[in-house]
Formats: sequence, C-alpha cells, structure tokens
Amino acid sequence: MNPKLQTLFDEPEKRYLGTEELNLLSQYVGSLPERIKVYRQLRDQELSLMQQVADQLQQAMPEATVDLQERAIKTALLVLRYSAMAMLLDDPAFVEQRLEGWLQPILAAYETQAIDTTLHQLLNQQLTQLLTTQQMGLLAPSLKQAQDMLLRSDTDSNDPLKSLVGVR
Amino acid sequence: MVSVADLLIDNRLPGNYFASDVYVRGTLELGLLENRRGDRLLAIPEPLIKGIYAGLDQETGQAAQLVLFNCGLWWGKNFYARFCEELTDYYHQPMAELSMAEFIQAFQQCWQTHGWGRINLDAHHRPQGFLVVEGKNSAFAPHAPKMDQPVCYLETGILQMFFSQLTGRDLSCVQTSCESLGHDCNRYLLGLEKRIKPVKAMVEAGQSHEAIMASLTGGA
Repeated sequence: MNPKLQTLFDEPEKRYLGTEELNLLSQYVGSLPERIKVYRQLRDQELSLMQQVADQLQQAMPEATVDLQERAIKTALLVLRYSAMAMLLDDPAFVEQRLEGWLQPILAAYETQAIDTTLHQLLNQQLTQLLTTQQMGLLAPSLKQAQDMLLRSDTDSNDPLKSLVGVR
Repeated sequence: MVSVADLLIDNRLPGNYFASDVYVRGTLELGLLENRRGDRLLAIPEPLIKGIYAGLDQETGQAAQLVLFNCGLWWGKNFYARFCEELTDYYHQPMAELSMAEFIQAFQQCWQTHGWGRINLDAHHRPQGFLVVEGKNSAFAPHAPKMDQPVCYLETGILQMFFSQLTGRDLSCVQTSCESLGHDCNRYLLGLEKRIKPVKAMVEAGQSHEAIMASLTGGA
C-alpha cells in the first residue's frame, strides 16, 4: 500500500486523523473501483495485448533472435504484472522494491536493451489503445518507473555477469 | 514467430523469488520466522555473534579460525542444497537448465535477504582461473577479534563450498580484503587449490588485494 496511507494507521492512540489525512484515504478509496477495473482489463487482455506487441516487434526488428525476443517479452510481461499490482496498491515504490537490482544485471548480461526500448514503445502504444487517458494516468506512474529502471540498465561491457553467462 | 501463450505455460513467470518482503515471514507470538516455503529461519542477535567469537577464543584459541572456516564449509554445503531445492521448485526446472545470470542473481538476492550483506561477483580474472567475490556489510566482520588479517572465516568457508558444489570442482577460497581492516569491502578469491595456495602467504604478509591480483595475473 502507498506508504503515506500506511502511516495513517500507525498511531491511533495519539489522536484522531485530521481532515487532510481522511481526504487522502477517501481519494484512494474513491479511485479503487477504477483501479480494479484497469487491473481486470490488463489481466484479461494480457495475452492478446502482448501477442500484438510480439508480432509488431518481430516486424520492427526481424534481425533479433527469437530467443532474445522471447526473453524481452517475458520481462515485459513481468514488468506489466508488477506495474498492475503497484497501480492497484497505489504504491509507486512497489516495483522498485521487488525488481530493482534484481532485474537490471540480468538484462545487462543478455544485452536486450535495444529490443527492450522498441518493445516498450510498442507496449505503450497498445496500452493507450486499450485504456482511456484517465486509466492510463493510474497505470503510468508505476509502469514508467519500471520501464525507466529497465531501460537505464546500462549495458556496461564490464558487467561481471556478462562474462559469467554461459559458464555452465 | 514468438507465441506469448507458449511463454505463459502454467501461467507463471519467474520473478524475484528471494525479494525480502515476500520471502521472510513470521509469527511473532510463536517466536517463529519462516521463509515463503515454511522453512524455519533463524535470526541471530549481535550479542550472540560476539559470544560465539569470545567462546571459541576461550575454548580453542588459535583454532577458532579453523573451527569457523569448517562450520562455513558445512553450512555452505547445506546452503547450496537448500538454495538449489528452492530454485528448482520455484522455476519448475532442473538447476542445470537455469541460466548462469539468473542463478547468480538469485544467489545475490538470497545472500542479502538472509542478512549476510550485499554480494557481487567479479569475473574479470576468470580467464586466469580466478573468481573474486565481493561482500559488503558482513554481520561477522565488525564483531570478530581485531587482527591484522581478514577475519571472515565463516563466510570464506561458505563461499568455498558453495562454489565448489556449483562448479563440481574442489575450489579453495581465501579472503584478501576485509571491512574489519578498514577496506571498502570483503574480497574472497576463489580458484583451484594449486592456484590459491600461494595467496595465503601473501595475505599473511599483509599484501593488498590489488597487489595479490597483480602478482597472480602478471598485472593483467
């Protein structure tokens, strides 16, 4: 849950919540039906949405190997699922907590950055078609955070994991 | 042609299994800490770590280092087995089919979530047959008796056994830098016994990690 909301419940013994604090809570609760609606749409459309992205990716980057395309799409599926959950919770830190540090080195090791960049542009296009501007506004903060994290994963040629890939 | 439906067989995508907020669970009133599979976890307070060092020192003196190293070997063997078991269950595939990058990433997160600190692998010297493991925020380094040498014997043993099991070779491990000596991190050098043997004397002579690596690899 959004940390600002979570701290509201920490000290009931001290005082009653003020107007602003209750407004914050009302705002979240008020946005919840829409959040659930978007979440349901993403869940139900996951397969068709991502298949369209995959087909477009294939056209846009025919030179990329199927293995790398599959890897990038799996990562995108993961990113979208985590972003959807973060949107439901209204917790921008959720994606970072779960994926930061874990996701980047793997991406750097496989050098899927070029594919990821194209793929996420295509994904964002598909999402704008699926969702209204207001709905996109709910999903965008967490999705953008996840995508920024993914795309800034610098393909540092000295990354130690890269030279370990294929050791086994 | 990529089929997304095929990628979603069993409808699951492996994520960050060892993420701390999902991995560590507990029932405080029962005094229980568990991982997400329900296996027991043990939290060790600082006074106990200090007590282990003090007790070993009193009972065994100089041999304390060897005792801790051997405990590390034993722990490392079981740690590796549990680690593989958990990953195999989670990924629904045998360890051998897991990519090295995924394996190492899981290992780093696992190490951190279990409270051993941060860990990184430096494979620059792999062509020469050495792997350097860098650890930060060790729970043991600050409480070990002050010495003029690295003191993370337990971790050295764990890493030696873990990577020996992983590679199927008998590797040796020597710690070449230590937070207790004011270094930026704890470095552990892994390699075959014959390659690591001279390193022990270099560490005892007080040589820095960089100097040791330079003389081992001819400055490479």
